[in-house]
Amino acid sequence: MGLGWYITRRVGWSFIVTFIIVSITWALLAAAPNPEIAQAATQVALQGGDPAAAQEAAERARQLRGLDAPLYQRYIDYVTSVYTLDWGWSETRSQPVIQAILGALYYTAQYSIPWTLLVIVIGPIVGLYSSANQYSWKDHLATGFAFFGYAIPNFFFGIILLLIFGVELGWIPVIYNTGVPVFSLENARQLAIPVFVLVTGSIGGIMRISRNESAAFMNADFVKTANAKGVSKLRIYARHVLRPTMVPLSTTMVSQLLALFTGSSLLVEIVFGIPGIGRLSYRALIAQDTSVVLGFVLFFTFVATIANLVQDLTYTVLDPRIDFDDR
Amino acid sequence: MSQGPARRGDEKHKRIDRRSWLKAIGVAGAAGLAGCSGGSNGSGGGNGTDQSGGGNGSNGSQPSNATNGSALGGGNESGNQSGGTSSGGVPEVGGTYSTVVSSSPETLNPLYNTEDGAGDLIGYALDYPYGFKPGTEYFQQLYDMTTDKGNVWVAKLRENLEFGGDYGEVTAEDFVYQVTQLHQSEWAATADASSWPSEVNVEATGDYEFQIELPNPNALYPETYDPLLYPIPKELMQPYVEEQNADGLRKEQELLGLGFAGNMGAYTLDSRNRSSSLTFKRNENYYLRDAEGVPEQFSKAPYFDTLEVQIVQEEQSRLAALEAGETDSAAVPPNRVSKFRNLERTDVYVIPQPYNEVCVYNMRDNGWNAGPGNLFRKKKFRQGLGCAVNKQRLVKGVFRGFADVEYTWQPQWSKWYPDDTSNIMEFGTGDLYGPEATQSRIKEAISDTDYGYSGGMLKNPSGETVNLTLYHSAGQPTERSMADFIAQEFKQNAGINVSVSAIQGAQFSREYWQQQIPDNPDQYEWSAGANNAGPREVTSANPWDMSVVFGLNTYPLNPTTANVFFQKDSAYNPYGYYPSWNASELFEQASSATSEEELQPIFNEIFAKISEDQPMGMLAFPAATTGYATGIDGPQENFFSGWDFSTWHRNG
Repeated sequence: MGLGWYITRRVGWSFIVTFIIVSITWALLAAAPNPEIAQAATQVALQGGDPAAAQEAAERARQLRGLDAPLYQRYIDYVTSVYTLDWGWSETRSQPVIQAILGALYYTAQYSIPWTLLVIVIGPIVGLYSSANQYSWKDHLATGFAFFGYAIPNFFFGIILLLIFGVELGWIPVIYNTGVPVFSLENARQLAIPVFVLVTGSIGGIMRISRNESAAFMNADFVKTANAKGVSKLRIYARHVLRPTMVPLSTTMVSQLLALFTGSSLLVEIVFGIPGIGRLSYRALIAQDTSVVLGFVLFFTFVATIANLVQDLTYTVLDPRIDFDDR
Repeated sequence: MSQGPARRGDEKHKRIDRRSWLKAIGVAGAAGLAGCSGGSNGSGGGNGTDQSGGGNGSNGSQPSNATNGSALGGGNESGNQSGGTSSGGVPEVGGTYSTVVSSSPETLNPLYNTEDGAGDLIGYALDYPYGFKPGTEYFQQLYDMTTDKGNVWVAKLRENLEFGGDYGEVTAEDFVYQVTQLHQSEWAATADASSWPSEVNVEATGDYEFQIELPNPNALYPETYDPLLYPIPKELMQPYVEEQNADGLRKEQELLGLGFAGNMGAYTLDSRNRSSSLTFKRNENYYLRDAEGVPEQFSKAPYFDTLEVQIVQEEQSRLAALEAGETDSAAVPPNRVSKFRNLERTDVYVIPQPYNEVCVYNMRDNGWNAGPGNLFRKKKFRQGLGCAVNKQRLVKGVFRGFADVEYTWQPQWSKWYPDDTSNIMEFGTGDLYGPEATQSRIKEAISDTDYGYSGGMLKNPSGETVNLTLYHSAGQPTERSMADFIAQEFKQNAGINVSVSAIQGAQFSREYWQQQIPDNPDQYEWSAGANNAGPREVTSANPWDMSVVFGLNTYPLNPTTANVFFQKDSAYNPYGYYPSWNASELFEQASSATSEEELQPIFNEIFAKISEDQPMGMLAFPAATTGYATGIDGPQENFFSGWDFSTWHRNG
């Protein structure tokens, strides 16, 4: 029973988890009254139709949406459509939900990928650097930078930078242009500030954790041994300190990855006008666009399950002390 | 929406209650291309008032009324050219016009759109049949409308109209089919359904001519915007009509992408990113170029190669884009007007618009939560409240002078506003303002109750000071200032405490403004949908006292359309108002009048009665204040700005 079998079982379990969540969602939806049908009836009533006509309109609306089919049939249709990515129609955008989500993801990914990579790369390195130079001015500078980024609200920092670099200096466009190619100088220019704001906002957590974690290993026996063997400083930090530091850190990183699709990106998207996931989900909630909200429930279910899986696998790969045989 | 009561500040409109306003834009153009560019109404995030002000020609510091002479056209006080060029020739074609709006349209399907912002976007690619020029002059686009006695109207189409794709030429049959098979059907639930009740008889009388027979004569029928129809090919609608499939019609790609518009729009929709932008390209075959009876400046219209609409939710970003020259137009809030006027690259236009700012009193059973009874239902009490707010100061302080004071349901620049204002009670001004005027009326109103004054404050029967809630839209600084001002005035002059609360427009609409539809509507005298689900005992989910969240349309081109706001059993009475005057009778007279001369005295009486009855606190008419790049030639400072948008161009 090796790693392969463990991964297979975990993936299978993830599938079951999503299936359970999807089923519960369906049950809740099936139990709730459908506003569109009430609306169809109201519409007829408003036009002076009699109650019987309103009833008829509601029936017609029900048939159109396939709500007159037996429950098991509706359940099978629903589950099939979920797993074939047919997630319904967004009323507030007049397009299929999956198209809306993928479209928004396309723009979110353009800033979230560089953001995540930068945080993952720079965070631990700066943390490690801080702990190697504990209580020096360099450590204080790095800590000060981390706390500043963490403390200043992203949207406010974004507006200020936009005013300075966009309006006053004219170096970056004020309005985000979706028409430019992904890998182009224009796109890099318009994304530089949002990515900078997000990185400064989220690097603090990773940096502080890696500083404190690595400080614990700085004086560990195996580091002393490596030092005694004459291993280079760089190798000690990279191989002996960073690796155990990364185990608890990976938890933070995965949650960071998830956060990037949700709250923190919303305000930045609004300020910089990026049509991403944050704005789409927020607007769908405010406007009660049920199918899009449901789409996000499914989307986040899948993302969270996969993230959980990745987290566990990362553990096992990073830390040989974790045993997966008897799980 | 029956008769289409229009609200400003809606972000969610499950029902079709802004259609007439939407048409007003297409027709009058007031905000069509101007006031809405980045104004804060619409769906999604933004809501509430177009923060704007009104009324004066070129210097925004004096209190308004300067629009009164020119709001409906006539002279251009600030010297802005309209249409053509300064030099009088036909402009050069080229370049890009870009504008920013605050929210993305829900749909561009002309049959189902109920948003004003989306109406503008559709208007770039598809003309309405007619519009109004400055001076309220009928401007024929797709068809001309004539009548003998006001009850049969004949619509005559131009003969050079072509649909896109394989749909061929536009004929009367396309319009008649749309009315009879969609708007008058029970299944389609189109946005225009309420404009075409079954008593209206529509039939084709030739290839390019159809007639509309009304149950009652209506001299101002075109001004109601009811006869406006988008041209939609019959073949496109037919399959859905046969299946009675409204859902399919709503999702039809051809309608959503405006691909059928052919030569009937100045621009064609080229690409759309739902959350960020729309791009339109110049329509090489625009029909108005060769049309008869249109001004010369249409001869090569439109004058931009590309038209870009960016969706930018954040007001600061929109203003920054205007300042940085990245966009050619954006709405400017009143407190920023002077800044943008002083910039070299921008002009600010003050464009009158028909929405008012009203403080609505909830007269339903869940209103007046300060004690027993509901004092809002007493006319004398409402008059007292009318005396509590200094309207001149509100206009000057909150709207920076970019607004007109409101005394009755009509802006003073409207041609229907009575010449003789002696019968209009001007509450909130002069003798009708101040603590004495307010409290004497309130005391009279509460004489038969256990309420009373003590220490200058109004006390309920338990001896507690009366405390009322007042809601305003979240994220609307101008509206917030107005609410705070009202609270301050009520305390000072009426001795009433007011708690001001912010709320999202969509939430207010759903949980406070609209009533819950009763399970058995038949048990009530009337039940007319969510905006008037029944008499006063039918209420919304949550109690509320007063609101400034929504402004309402006063329909300056045809005030009869506003009758829906003043009938106790109309489709739009969220506030539970029962008129103490013969409202339905007077509006009935107005809508069946056969000439404008006959109408004026009826309107005079209606406006006098409204000012006296104070159905709500009528406060101000803010104008749209829109910033344009200096080189843009076209916008005008009147209600019709944008009627000739296809002739707008860039100078220099």
